[in-house]
Amino acid sequence: MALEDYRRDIEGCSRCSSCKWVPYNQIKSWRFSKNCPSIYRHNFHTYSGSGRMVIGLSLLEGRVELDETVAEIIYKCQLCGACDSACKTYRDDIDISEVLLELRAYCVEQGELLIEHMAMIDALKREGNTLGEPKAQRGDWAEGLDVKDVNAETCDVLFHAGCRYSYDRDARQTARGHVQLMRSAGMGVGIAGKEESCCGGRAYELGYRGEAANYADDVLSLVKSSGAKTLVTACADCYSHFQYVYPKMGKELPVEILHVSQVTEKLLDSGKLRFRRKLPLSVTYHDPCHLGRKGEPFAGVWKGDKLDRPMNLKRSGRKGVYDAPRNVIDEIPGLELTEMERIREYAWCCGAGGGVLEAFEDFSASTTAERIAEALATGAEALVTSCPWCLRVFKDAVEETSACIAVYDLTDLALMSAGIAQPAAV
Amino acid sequence: MIRVISDEAYKELEAAVGPDNVSRLPVVLDSYAFQPFENHESMPWCPSPVAVALPSTTEEVSEVIKACNRHGLKHKAFSTGWGMWCGPTTDNVVQIDLRRMNQIVEIDEKNQFAIVEPYVCGAQLQAEAMKVGLNTHIIGAGPNTSPLASATSMYGVGHDGIYMSYSARNVLGLEWVQPTGEVLRLGSPGSDKGWFSGDGPGPSLRGTMRGYTGALGGMGVFTKVALKLFNWPGPPQVKSSGTVVDLTSEIPENIGLYMCFFPNADKLADAYYDIGEAEIGYNSLKVATPAFMMVLAPHLFKKLKDTKNLSRMLGKTMGHLFLMLLAGTSKEDLAHQERVLEAIVDEHDGFILDQKNIPPLKSNFMMNFIRATLPALVFRIGGSFSTALGRNDSLDSQVTWGEAIADIKRGYASKGQIIDDMGDNPYFVPYESNMFAHCEVVYPYDHRNPRYLEGSNNITMDFIIGAVELCMEAGFGTLPPARKILSPLTSNYNYWQKKFSEAFDPDQGSDKGLYTDETEFDFSEIAPERVAKLERLVKERTWTELGPPE
Amino acid sequence: MSHKTVDLDGFKQVVGPDNVSTQESELESFRSAGMASRGSPVAIVKPTEMSELRDIIILARQTGANLVFSSSAPPRFRGDSIPSEDGVIVDLSGMDEITRLDRRNKVAYIEPGVTFSHLIEAADKVGLKVLMPLLPRAGKSVLACFLEREPITIPKYHWDMTDPLLCTEMVFGTGDLFRTGTAGSPGTIEQQIDAGLAHKNPLGPGTTDFLRIVQGSQGTLAGVTWATIKLEVKPSVHKIYFVPDIKLERLIEFTYRALRPRLGDEWLILNSRALATLIGETSAAVEELAGRQAPWTLVYGVSGYRYLPEERMALQEKDLGKIAQAAGVVPVSEVPGCPAKKMERILASPSPEPYYKTVPKGAFTDIFFLATLDEVSTLIAVMEKACEHHGYPTSELGAYIQPIQQGRTAHVEFALSYDPADEAESKKVAELADSASRALDAAGAFFSRPYGAWSDIAYRNCPDTVEALKKVKRVMDPDNVLNRGKLCYGEEVV
Repeated sequence: MALEDYRRDIEGCSRCSSCKWVPYNQIKSWRFSKNCPSIYRHNFHTYSGSGRMVIGLSLLEGRVELDETVAEIIYKCQLCGACDSACKTYRDDIDISEVLLELRAYCVEQGELLIEHMAMIDALKREGNTLGEPKAQRGDWAEGLDVKDVNAETCDVLFHAGCRYSYDRDARQTARGHVQLMRSAGMGVGIAGKEESCCGGRAYELGYRGEAANYADDVLSLVKSSGAKTLVTACADCYSHFQYVYPKMGKELPVEILHVSQVTEKLLDSGKLRFRRKLPLSVTYHDPCHLGRKGEPFAGVWKGDKLDRPMNLKRSGRKGVYDAPRNVIDEIPGLELTEMERIREYAWCCGAGGGVLEAFEDFSASTTAERIAEALATGAEALVTSCPWCLRVFKDAVEETSACIAVYDLTDLALMSAGIAQPAAV
Repeated sequence: MIRVISDEAYKELEAAVGPDNVSRLPVVLDSYAFQPFENHESMPWCPSPVAVALPSTTEEVSEVIKACNRHGLKHKAFSTGWGMWCGPTTDNVVQIDLRRMNQIVEIDEKNQFAIVEPYVCGAQLQAEAMKVGLNTHIIGAGPNTSPLASATSMYGVGHDGIYMSYSARNVLGLEWVQPTGEVLRLGSPGSDKGWFSGDGPGPSLRGTMRGYTGALGGMGVFTKVALKLFNWPGPPQVKSSGTVVDLTSEIPENIGLYMCFFPNADKLADAYYDIGEAEIGYNSLKVATPAFMMVLAPHLFKKLKDTKNLSRMLGKTMGHLFLMLLAGTSKEDLAHQERVLEAIVDEHDGFILDQKNIPPLKSNFMMNFIRATLPALVFRIGGSFSTALGRNDSLDSQVTWGEAIADIKRGYASKGQIIDDMGDNPYFVPYESNMFAHCEVVYPYDHRNPRYLEGSNNITMDFIIGAVELCMEAGFGTLPPARKILSPLTSNYNYWQKKFSEAFDPDQGSDKGLYTDETEFDFSEIAPERVAKLERLVKERTWTELGPPE
Repeated sequence: MSHKTVDLDGFKQVVGPDNVSTQESELESFRSAGMASRGSPVAIVKPTEMSELRDIIILARQTGANLVFSSSAPPRFRGDSIPSEDGVIVDLSGMDEITRLDRRNKVAYIEPGVTFSHLIEAADKVGLKVLMPLLPRAGKSVLACFLEREPITIPKYHWDMTDPLLCTEMVFGTGDLFRTGTAGSPGTIEQQIDAGLAHKNPLGPGTTDFLRIVQGSQGTLAGVTWATIKLEVKPSVHKIYFVPDIKLERLIEFTYRALRPRLGDEWLILNSRALATLIGETSAAVEELAGRQAPWTLVYGVSGYRYLPEERMALQEKDLGKIAQAAGVVPVSEVPGCPAKKMERILASPSPEPYYKTVPKGAFTDIFFLATLDEVSTLIAVMEKACEHHGYPTSELGAYIQPIQQGRTAHVEFALSYDPADEAESKKVAELADSASRALDAAGAFFSRPYGAWSDIAYRNCPDTVEALKKVKRVMDPDNVLNRGKLCYGEEVV
């Protein structure tokens, strides 16, 4: 697919601005009614979902030439997908998210690249991860864990840690916890350790389609060779790419794909995991974009007029992973969940995605701050989420601003309640 | 014509709003030139502005306008910016995007009004008003639109009209940056007495601000307005999940939703009249079964409408219905209103589908109805839609108008120039306990289909002929060619508007395209007999120096 | 301008010699309204149709005559039809037909000379009621009354400030004919009616609201030759209640809570003096009744209509009872000297002759303005202080509070009674009225209908509004022939 293939989507936009707002029936206040971090920050219509689609049309019609400035606008977007799911609340025939991705691919094709993104891609090529950390250390997080090495033996369940969990020192313990949690329930978990590669999702989002395809091939071959029937990841980004981008690229993984929150929910349902320890804490839950609206599985491409597209092929964002983490929270004794106003497919982004954290730090930080403000408005003592990228930016923001709220990975709370880890932080 | 803003002028705009809040980048300007909705002539583009400015205060708006005037640039403001009304109609325009003026300045709970800035949308204001037991009029276009814009500059019809009137009638105090850049506060705020009145002392300048329609950006910029709020007998927040089609809400026990069906249009009108006299009703909209299906299940609708018997059943058997939302002061009061409604509907040979007997439907419809969210789904069938010229007056006249337009539409639907929605697809609402009413008929189309554009001029002409034949004050006739035809038949209103425009805007700095400009209608594709018919009507009904035709 | 320079022959040619009068007995009523005036009426011209009015205005533009419109019978209290400069009275009271009464759409088509009594009688025959101001003068023109935004006593029907006026036909100061609202639609009025129009849309035509501009202009912008007026259905059952109380704040609280869900029909608050003036038929009765009333009395009506009327009324009574209890007030069905039925009649009728406010002492001066209800107590205190300062007994101060715009605003009206034969008292009241008006203005009162001296007070506060109004005047009356000297236009308009 190319930008031209989405011309009808773009021309279908009526400029109603629904892409800028939380779906109207869910607007609960003036304060938290916006959904798009980019226009919230930059204000010109150009920065909205609709405005970005117009950039596409302007480029296609030769009204505007792609240059550094235009590319910068295109990249000042977390690709969080809120515009897309808001639009699809009312429309069936427009795929904004796809247009946004095509715009980036177009930038890369035309050589309009951001230095920060190029650095990330170089790191990816060099070390196999987006953080530029040594490839050899990728499996260090699992040192000493009772877990299979899929490079040496097959397994039922392949756990894909992802770049952030593998290298982020704050997250490594949680990564171990994911495995411990599954192991405690008797699951035959394997990992690839230093042979695990990036899912390639970031490359795809930055417009580097070739690199993305290469990494997808790597993951695909690893999954096949592992013998696993299930692929579990704790990273929302990876989850989204496995579920949606891979099959869209024609590289569907031949296994069941689960996020760790779904695994936890299943273990609770089957009685293999029980939460015993009370955690007296009021929490609010942040839906990671890639686990929520962008975690909706790929359902196929409709070749005809999208006005006639069957509803099951419309990526509405409603079929993402929303209930599993909430069900897990609900099962932890003592936890009291107060929802933020923007949740599920209309959740506000954490600010980290789409290459924004790397290229436009201030913009990323202001997006994060907005979410922290919303979390604080609930009165909750803790902000819980299920994505290492969200966790990183939330923790950094809270530390920097001394905001009065704790930040937790859902798995850490599960581990504490299950008695696998000490509830020191609660 | 200046198509590029001078450095000097640009610097003055930067000084007015700060360099981060003004742009002349072609890519930014193009995103403001994209205005496909209701843009029948040059889809999807309108003339590109030469710069976009994002003021955050009234003073900044004033400075922007003054800078424009100094440099011979026109200005055109928008609030939420939906539709070709918002974009420039000519070259040399600075677009003033008011999205940074987004505050609900105050909600005066006791005196039932809110002071809002331009970029507050209906859903935001409603959400905040409900917290204090109040509600706001939301126009039919939906909760994404700016209540300030509807009240000051646009039209203002919504399906809460039976209880919450028409936007133009809900204005109290007002702050207006005139086309000269001077700030004028109308009514009591002009005398620093609070925002509770927009009229006086003496003659009301609200009348220069707008009439049936607004000046659509042609008369300066409105920066704050006090809008009437109305009683909301429901909870501070309606608990709901889902978004639109999958929405479910907890319904308060004192609110009910009813679909009232009648055997014909006359009976429906009779019932509406009686409902007005009984003074019940919180929201109400005459709809048609096909329209419902088209909105909620467009795929199914497309399949069914080609099935003759089903099509007849949809289009005819259940063609005359209105939705009625009743809101009582208590459960007991709702029961009373329900009994009144039943008696009226029964008297006029109708029947009621009480949605309390269909919990999922009620749970879905109520909030969709109160927040006016469903009209956004009209895009689903074809990607776009338009409405025939709308009118406000007696309920009977709306029935006549609705039927006339449905007839016109059928011809175009059969040629595939618009989507066949079975004709009757009105946006028909009573205002103020049926003191008067409104009807504009929806016609969906796919604007990306060249066949539509081929037919658009013809359908517009048919609407104009229909309006003149039915003596209609074509409030929606804001397009320059329609204005040129209709004004001489309608008290020569545009002659006077131009006078006011000249008085308040001596440099003609505001973009007048949709306010006073007149252009020739392109008759080249109109059949000669229709042109002759229009000419005959125009000749017969044109006002002379002595006044109206006798 | 004196009568010597007025082209009476020209006017006679337009309306016929019998319809031009310079008789002093007729002119006299246009000389005084308790307000000082620099001008005098020099002739009365009585058009009988729109074309004559238009020709009168065109003639005035040629000769520079000052035209002052009048539609009501004397006495004249507001001063808007008293020339500020020597002027020709254009007396429209002879145009007094109700040309159409549409029961289904609840609308009457009336000419300027139609009085309340006339319209009430006609509306009643078809089961409709007229939305009444409080006891208008018997000879008061309905059209003129609402052209001046006089408040009605049923707030729930007062949606916007133009109510109950709808569409109009008017002649601008340029001599151009114009029709407002849907009356401006294509076709003749008859064709429009045939097409189903009932002339109920007051807005427009187009993008300017000409009625709204002309309303409140005291005849300085246009003359109106007919209008449609919104009527309402007569209730099947109707009851009046009184809520006497010593504390106005409680009644205001009750009002806020009741009007928000649009409970009740008539709704007004009177102090003891205003209530007594309303119900007392003689000066002595007023004095006596005033002493027997609570300091404040709220009057409200409840109604039932065609469907389940008793049930509706019972529900309203119940709801209002609860609200009253919460506000700490007690509704009763009678106050001293006024059973509910009597008040019901008063609220549905014009004033008996002589005009009720003249009953206590022979003359009165009104002070009225707009404010929000929560500001009213403060403003009353300001008024009482002014009375005390001028030695005017507060016991004789009438106060009437009329919620309008469905309770969002209130028309507040003070009445100062005096004996016109007592020069000292007259002077005292005039001084009091002036200084109290200024004090009220300073305290937040909005003089939205600035008659006479109030125009100075009101327009001093809003120079931007004045500049804008001058622009309007230049468009609609470029030669300043309409009611010259009124409001804020000044000399430079011409």
